[in-house]
Amino acid sequence: MPEPLEYPKAMLTRATLDACIKCTICETACPVSAVTPLFPGPKFVGPQAERFRDGESVDHSLDYCSSCGACTLACPQGVQIAELNSQARAVMKEDNMPLRDKLIGQTVLMGKVMTPFAPIANAALGNKLVRTVVEKTVGVHRDAPMPTARLHTFQGWMKKHQPPASPRTRGPVVFFSGCAGGYFEVETSIKTVEVLEHLGYEVIAPKQGCCGLAQQSNGLFDEATKSVLKLCDQLRSGGKDLTIVSASGSCAGMLKHEAHEIMGVDEEKLHDVGTRMREISEFLLELHAAGDLPTDFVRNDITVPYHAPCQLKSQGMGMPAITVMELIPGVKVIESGRACCGIAGTYGLKKEKYDIAQAVGQPLFDMVKEKNEGIAVCDTETCRWQIEKGSGVKTVHPIWLVHKAYGLS
Amino acid sequence: MDSRAVVVGAGMAGLVSAIRLRQAGMDVTLVTQGIGGIQLGQGTIDVLGYVPERVLGQPLAAVTAYGNAHPHHPYAILSADDVRAGVEFLRALLPDTFVGDLERNYLLPTAIGALRPTALPQVTMAEGECTPGKQMVFVGLRQLKDFWPELVAGNVARTELPGGGRVSTRAAWLDLPARANEVDSTPLYYARAMDDPAYRKRFVDALRRVVEPGETVGLPGVLGLADRGAFADITAQLGQPVFEISTIPPSVPGMRLNDALTRLAKDARVKVVLGSQVLCANIDGGRIRSLTVGTTGRPTEYAGEHFVFAPGGFESGGIELDSYMKVSEPTLGLPLWVPEGDLVVADHNAAQPLFSVGVRFDHDMRVLDTAGDTVHENLHVAGGILAGASRWQEKSGDGIALASAVRAADAILESVQNLEGARNA
Repeated sequence: MPEPLEYPKAMLTRATLDACIKCTICETACPVSAVTPLFPGPKFVGPQAERFRDGESVDHSLDYCSSCGACTLACPQGVQIAELNSQARAVMKEDNMPLRDKLIGQTVLMGKVMTPFAPIANAALGNKLVRTVVEKTVGVHRDAPMPTARLHTFQGWMKKHQPPASPRTRGPVVFFSGCAGGYFEVETSIKTVEVLEHLGYEVIAPKQGCCGLAQQSNGLFDEATKSVLKLCDQLRSGGKDLTIVSASGSCAGMLKHEAHEIMGVDEEKLHDVGTRMREISEFLLELHAAGDLPTDFVRNDITVPYHAPCQLKSQGMGMPAITVMELIPGVKVIESGRACCGIAGTYGLKKEKYDIAQAVGQPLFDMVKEKNEGIAVCDTETCRWQIEKGSGVKTVHPIWLVHKAYGLS
Repeated sequence: MDSRAVVVGAGMAGLVSAIRLRQAGMDVTLVTQGIGGIQLGQGTIDVLGYVPERVLGQPLAAVTAYGNAHPHHPYAILSADDVRAGVEFLRALLPDTFVGDLERNYLLPTAIGALRPTALPQVTMAEGECTPGKQMVFVGLRQLKDFWPELVAGNVARTELPGGGRVSTRAAWLDLPARANEVDSTPLYYARAMDDPAYRKRFVDALRRVVEPGETVGLPGVLGLADRGAFADITAQLGQPVFEISTIPPSVPGMRLNDALTRLAKDARVKVVLGSQVLCANIDGGRIRSLTVGTTGRPTEYAGEHFVFAPGGFESGGIELDSYMKVSEPTLGLPLWVPEGDLVVADHNAAQPLFSVGVRFDHDMRVLDTAGDTVHENLHVAGGILAGASRWQEKSGDGIALASAVRAADAILESVQNLEGARNA
């Protein structure tokens, strides 16, 4: 395997640039340049600047890209603008990586440290003085949304958990919780397992670490590559050829395509895991298309504002959660139509980008406030924290509605 | 209706056929590599503008005559009635968006001051119609480099109108950034600024200082993006007729159309799959069973009974040209109609034959091979992939897209009804 940064350096000179016809559609889709002149837009820092880069960055405004991927998704010509920019940023930051950006990617460490002391950790994160000190020393904005630590991890629950007595008619699947689903959004992981078991699956949840997404988005390709490959081994230990289901939309995307497309990880184990990975709504919709999803749902008369996270949209599969939720009688979904909630992984946590992330999210927060009947729905963890903090509306994973509709809660 | 349709492409043709099929109750998935090309156009509905002389009255009659004279042109197969059906369907989807009645073409100034014919301008453009003796002031913004009022005013003033006479013009400038300290903004940022009533007020205050009584005010196409009341508000505040002129792509009036149609499709629950390329079709017994789509992780099969293929023409990547000047349709490998002679000619102002390369089709929008036989029973085509037109030069792209999109959808619906009728009989 080549040194991790050789790939992005080499990619800088090639990539998909030739396909760019300068139509500028990407700039119309960018949520960051829409709210701040500090970021001149994806075409400007991508296909334009790239021609002058020759390995070195010509423009540090590149760092204001949030890597939401809206540009790549919008490009009619198949230019991988966001990927190109992520690579260029990794090269740019190689020799001056801020400590904050190294720490912020340590999601497993954060979960491990916080879980045993959950009440203390939560109190500390709720404390203005502590957060101000953290902002000054580390650079994480004092008002940025932070996860709530739980006293129990998903793995802890899974060990004690007894599957239903009914026969496992559909065979085994592997469940991938992601770090947030393992330490913070434990309830979402539990509900997903319970839905899968209700459908008749045997759920295997091997011990698992981080996918490295947060490190990757901060340009730490070396560390991220190690993380993702280790995770591949762990998920593969669940069983050969089994479908891997995840309720963590962005982490699923890291394994499906980002590790390969952005960092150039080209190992068989990643390919194996990536092709088997299904985001939970995608998985349920596949069952439905095959006529294999029971729809004996309990009626739920509710209108829910729904935001499909940027990293879910990037997977190019549309918005399966909308179709799945609307299979439930009475459920009406209003899609946000927004490119991104602003947080974009760890972008919106950073003190110099916090205001931008809030401005990106504001129209979404307003829409959620206006349309909700008690809850909002979104598929990924950090986005839910961002929406919940910005709108004050409890924001849940789509599986919560499915779980309830099957009479499981 | 249990049938499933898969539509490829999110331009005018793809969105419109998807919405029409969905409205009929079909389960519709729309797959598109990126955002469609609507915002790369002017945001007007062009039916037929040049044949090659300018079409002024009766564009639908011109469609018939042009089709009769050009047997390879889409208008030889799509009739004036098809064009009317397509345009009326769009107009019903987007009420209060357009002016015009298909009885004549409007003649509106472009951003370089040429007079361009179009059948249905947006409401925001209507006052730009050039009539003898009209007084126009074109107003630019110092921070917007894509609109040069002296250029527009000069060219419009020197143009003799078709019936004789001229427009009297003047140029003026405003110094008003779209957002603080930004010295070089795109029309998009201005349009977003105009969504804010407070900004609109500042804009109109500045405008009032440069506009004289009796003048019609020509502005760059930036008069609001999300706020569809922005134009009416600006006009009411100023108290004088105002119109906007689309700038270089992506045009704000085009974005408004694209946003509105995309929203309609999504709200109707067309399943829009954005960001994935169609890789190939899976064919069985003369019918397409599914399309393989390059989603991340691994490809996904989208099965259906009916398929509408609207990937656009050469400029959209719907048709490819290799370095040996060989053209191909890269997704489904469809047979192409290629005009005789050189595909690219040196004369910059001449019609480039390359743009007329495309697929042949029948009135049900089924693809025909060189022998005139149907290629796939359940594959229908629409929009820029159709052979025989130089859409950019004729100003015929929207008429072709709308007529073919509605024809494709209706042919599918007719075939389903025939099948159901046969079952019930």
